Amino acid sequence: MLISLKDLKREANFLLRQKRIFVLLLITLILTSFALYTGIIEANKQQQSITRLLQADAQEQEIVFNSKNDYGSIAYYNFHLTYLPPSQLAFAAMGNRDTHPWKHRIRMLALEGQIYESDIGHPELAATGHFDFAFVLSVLLPLILILLLHDLFANERAAGRYDLLTVTASSPLKIWVTRALVLTLSLFLTFILPFVVAAVFNQVAISQIILVGLICLAQIIVWAAICFGLAKTNAPAPRLASILLSIWLITAFVIPVVGDAVIEQQITSPNGGDILMVQREAVNDAWDLPPQTTFDAFTQTHPEWKNHTSMNKMFEWKWYYAFQQVGDQQAAELTKAYTEAAKLKYQAANWLSVLSPSIAVQRAMTRIANTDAIASANYQQQVRDFHAELRSFYYPLIFNQVEFDQQQLALLPQFSANSHK
Amino acid sequence: MSTLLIIAHDEWRYWRRSKLALVTIIISIVMALTSVVLTTISVADENHQRAHLQQQAEQTFVEQPDRHPHRMVHYGHYLFRNSTPLSTIDPGIDSYTGKAIFLEGHRQNSATFSNQQHSSQLTEFGPLSPAFVLQTIAPLLLILIGYSAISRETEAGTLSFLLAQGLSYWQLLLGKVAALFSVNLLVLSPFILGCLLAASHGESSAIIVTFILSYLVYLLVWTLFIVAISALTNSNNSSFAMLICCWLFACLLLPRIAANTTQYLVEQPSKIENDFAVKAKLRELGDGHNSADPAFLQLKANLLAQYQVEKVEDLPVNFRGIVAKNSEAELTKILNTFAKEQMQRELKQSTTNQLFAWLTPALAIRGLSMQLAGTDISSYHKFLREAEQVRYEFVQSLNKAHAEQLNYQTDINRYQDSQALQNARVSANNWQILNNFEFKPFNAEQRLTQSKLALMQLTFWLIILAVFLGLVGRKSQC
Amino acid sequence: MKDSVISANNLSVAYANQLVLNKVNFSVAQGQIFALLGGNGAGKSTTLKTFLGTLKPQSGSANILGKPVHQHINTSRKQIAYLPESVMLYGHLTAIENIQYFLSLADIKQSVQQIEDALTQVSLQPQAWHNKLSQYSKGMRQKTAIALALLRQAPILFLDEPTSGLDPAAIDEFNQLMSQLAQAGSTIFMVTHDVYGACQVANKIGLLHQGELISLFNAEHNQSIDTETVHKAFVRGIRA
Repeated sequence: MLISLKDLKREANFLLRQKRIFVLLLITLILTSFALYTGIIEANKQQQSITRLLQADAQEQEIVFNSKNDYGSIAYYNFHLTYLPPSQLAFAAMGNRDTHPWKHRIRMLALEGQIYESDIGHPELAATGHFDFAFVLSVLLPLILILLLHDLFANERAAGRYDLLTVTASSPLKIWVTRALVLTLSLFLTFILPFVVAAVFNQVAISQIILVGLICLAQIIVWAAICFGLAKTNAPAPRLASILLSIWLITAFVIPVVGDAVIEQQITSPNGGDILMVQREAVNDAWDLPPQTTFDAFTQTHPEWKNHTSMNKMFEWKWYYAFQQVGDQQAAELTKAYTEAAKLKYQAANWLSVLSPSIAVQRAMTRIANTDAIASANYQQQVRDFHAELRSFYYPLIFNQVEFDQQQLALLPQFSANSHK
Repeated sequence: MSTLLIIAHDEWRYWRRSKLALVTIIISIVMALTSVVLTTISVADENHQRAHLQQQAEQTFVEQPDRHPHRMVHYGHYLFRNSTPLSTIDPGIDSYTGKAIFLEGHRQNSATFSNQQHSSQLTEFGPLSPAFVLQTIAPLLLILIGYSAISRETEAGTLSFLLAQGLSYWQLLLGKVAALFSVNLLVLSPFILGCLLAASHGESSAIIVTFILSYLVYLLVWTLFIVAISALTNSNNSSFAMLICCWLFACLLLPRIAANTTQYLVEQPSKIENDFAVKAKLRELGDGHNSADPAFLQLKANLLAQYQVEKVEDLPVNFRGIVAKNSEAELTKILNTFAKEQMQRELKQSTTNQLFAWLTPALAIRGLSMQLAGTDISSYHKFLREAEQVRYEFVQSLNKAHAEQLNYQTDINRYQDSQALQNARVSANNWQILNNFEFKPFNAEQRLTQSKLALMQLTFWLIILAVFLGLVGRKSQC
Repeated sequence: MKDSVISANNLSVAYANQLVLNKVNFSVAQGQIFALLGGNGAGKSTTLKTFLGTLKPQSGSANILGKPVHQHINTSRKQIAYLPESVMLYGHLTAIENIQYFLSLADIKQSVQQIEDALTQVSLQPQAWHNKLSQYSKGMRQKTAIALALLRQAPILFLDEPTSGLDPAAIDEFNQLMSQLAQAGSTIFMVTHDVYGACQVANKIGLLHQGELISLFNAEHNQSIDTETVHKAFVRGIRA
């Protein structure tokens, strides 16, 4: 059974002349364009915000450099802006950028006390969720497809045309396949064409555009197969649509929600608050402990400073930063368990998304757009790495009690957002 | 009246015999029940945990040994937000805001560790909350049950038959509404139980009654809509397609479209940007850690004049403590101005978003429900304001101890040797400054006032739908 | 039997494990009009569907041009045109567009002129040709469907209750048209419960009762089958 271009043209001409189908496709096109347009605006806003922050950050740094004249104070007062810029594709899948922090200002103090600060959007709006291209693909697409395909047969049966078509057509199966093909293809185009325009405008890599196209195609094929398979049964159209909608409801809402409850139940994670508490107790207790106790713990991880721990004064910056480091070290185990738990939850959720095409698409899109939990975790790791860099910059200056020199500050590590692969 | 009951009863018989309708009704009830039970358990669990954490935080604070008071300012304190009774039904933004907040000197922190950040992120499309089930899922299930209420009779020709029997069209419409409404009551019953449980946890009965009635009205709005569309269309097919499209827009698309548009319309600078602005403003104030900062010269002069002494050393109070206290007060003023602006912008976003409820009843009930449950943004702001109050009070109590109980000389010489450091302390009795903190939402009257707009919107929808059904009834009668 | 265009050979069909057609035998020669009569649930539609190839026989066969339909569905279907009972053609298309669409499905090319000729032949008013079918009356829709069946230019016509919903004048026109077609060499198979109409137009009538063919009537040379006889058999069959 070969479907010729002529067949496709005939059915396209036939189907798209039906007002219902045309209107449905038009609305889809408008919604998709709206999602893309507001996504681009949002991504631009985030980019502009980063530009403004970088400017303000540089000014602040200038002020600190000019007003302090020892490394210890500069390390204490100088904040560094870290950020995860929206990827080229972020406009299409905002993911968790309104629930997870993507910018932090950090300094040389214990990192665990700083890294959980969160600067996020309006919680009511975040709770509603984004109307972005990823949402359009994962939730709207199946619904539109159900509306388009569920009565493929039922309508013809109800109108008494089914047998007529079967008997008339040179190959009966061909009509149905051609019709389904025309409907899914035009739906694919209404989704993907505006996306490609937006993606090209945003200079998204070709490979990513193709990947998104494949996700879109896969989602369409899965739902078209479900619709086509069920549509063949003898039930009337609304009954079929009810069944299809129930499948959609179960896969898009019920399975994820139940899965989430199970995952939360099964994967135990330390309380986030405990990390802060442990770190705070450690840092605060250190003030009352003999400095040597702190230095002992510190030199276990930094043996190179073993011979630089003697104190001439009651307060020295090296002691201060040493107990900040020790604070982090004491919380390290909890932090590890906390991030491990997050990772496990992510993996478990990945497994679960096999059962839910909508969730799978959402996760795939946010993965490509680098706006998912992995992106957040990677960003957090980047911040940790950068903080470690700061420490290795300042420790020699502070422990060796190097004479203060403004020139040195030019070598201060700068956060670069591009280390993401 | 009895005719209505007969029609409603007949509709129930149809549902009982049509497997799909029966299954849908059962699914609705099971979903409502499961969501109520699960959220009630998890909220109770979290509240229990939180009460424990709060008590622990207060205990560790007061158990701190004798110390330099400023150390305690930086040691800080934790507040944990407990859930409101009705958050078992509508958790609102609870899982998005974080429930722990660290209070310390010189800073206003935001709440950290929101559940959402550490979740599997599977609930992207909707959480398992009774509110979500009732606002979004229940209308869909009602459509699946009721789309054919009238169109079925039209299609099968039984409509003209019924009318020929002397039944009025109105009786038929209202009978179907009654039948579908009884399904509403069934679906609502687990939810009403949850509300009663909330009442037993101290929620005011005025709120509970308004809350239940709001949801009842919301489902009634859908019921009227379903019956009207079913009467207006002449086939099951078109009734179904039309209802599903309306549901799609009202419950799934418009809320998100509204959120996107609000974000576009109302600018909200990020907290870090705010921090920069605060910093710039603060530089004019001086560093409260450094009493030699030129910004405090005026304060010094005033104090010296007040106590008629020549040097700060001769003051009967610790000048460093006074500086700390003064600069904290000044700082807090600025922080509060900025925090207030931030909150006002957030409220403006909420109000803008709420305007879209004129376009969809789903947003009307969503806003109303969160406001009544005390899980909306203004309730969160109240928590932040109360937390700030707690922060300011404990920091200033410590600064007061710093000024009054620690000698200036001892204080500035504390890093001379370890003995000096030992001396620069105040008694741990000064830490007994925390009161048992428990977050309470706005009182019933305040919440009812706050939800006026949403209440109006929901009433608007009820009127619109009643008029719509009226027009449909009138038109079809002729 | 050999030159029969349509024939049933010990045709038995079961539906949901219940025998609805039991060893039915008949044959229709070229140029004949065969009417299959029967009450509700006698098995008329089942017989028709078996010839269309949408139902499979349990045993025996329904043959078109001597070949069992269920084994040669595609070749059989090329030979037939089908007129369903009260069909609702596409409401968003005009009569001509509807016909063009269906013909292109069958890979048949007909000019607009030919389509208009066919519409004239079934006496559909020309001013309605370019209206959408959703505005048509039941009779007009039926006429469009008949025109479509004619335009398929298939040698065999299967008609399901072709005259139901038509007014008496239209029925007369329709019967004349059928006779013309039969004279021109078409073979026509119709299913109906209208005894009077069947006797007027058919030269062979089969009476189906509870899945069995209880009698066959043949028209004598150029005479129509006697309505009274068929009517009696029909009513008696039902009562038996």
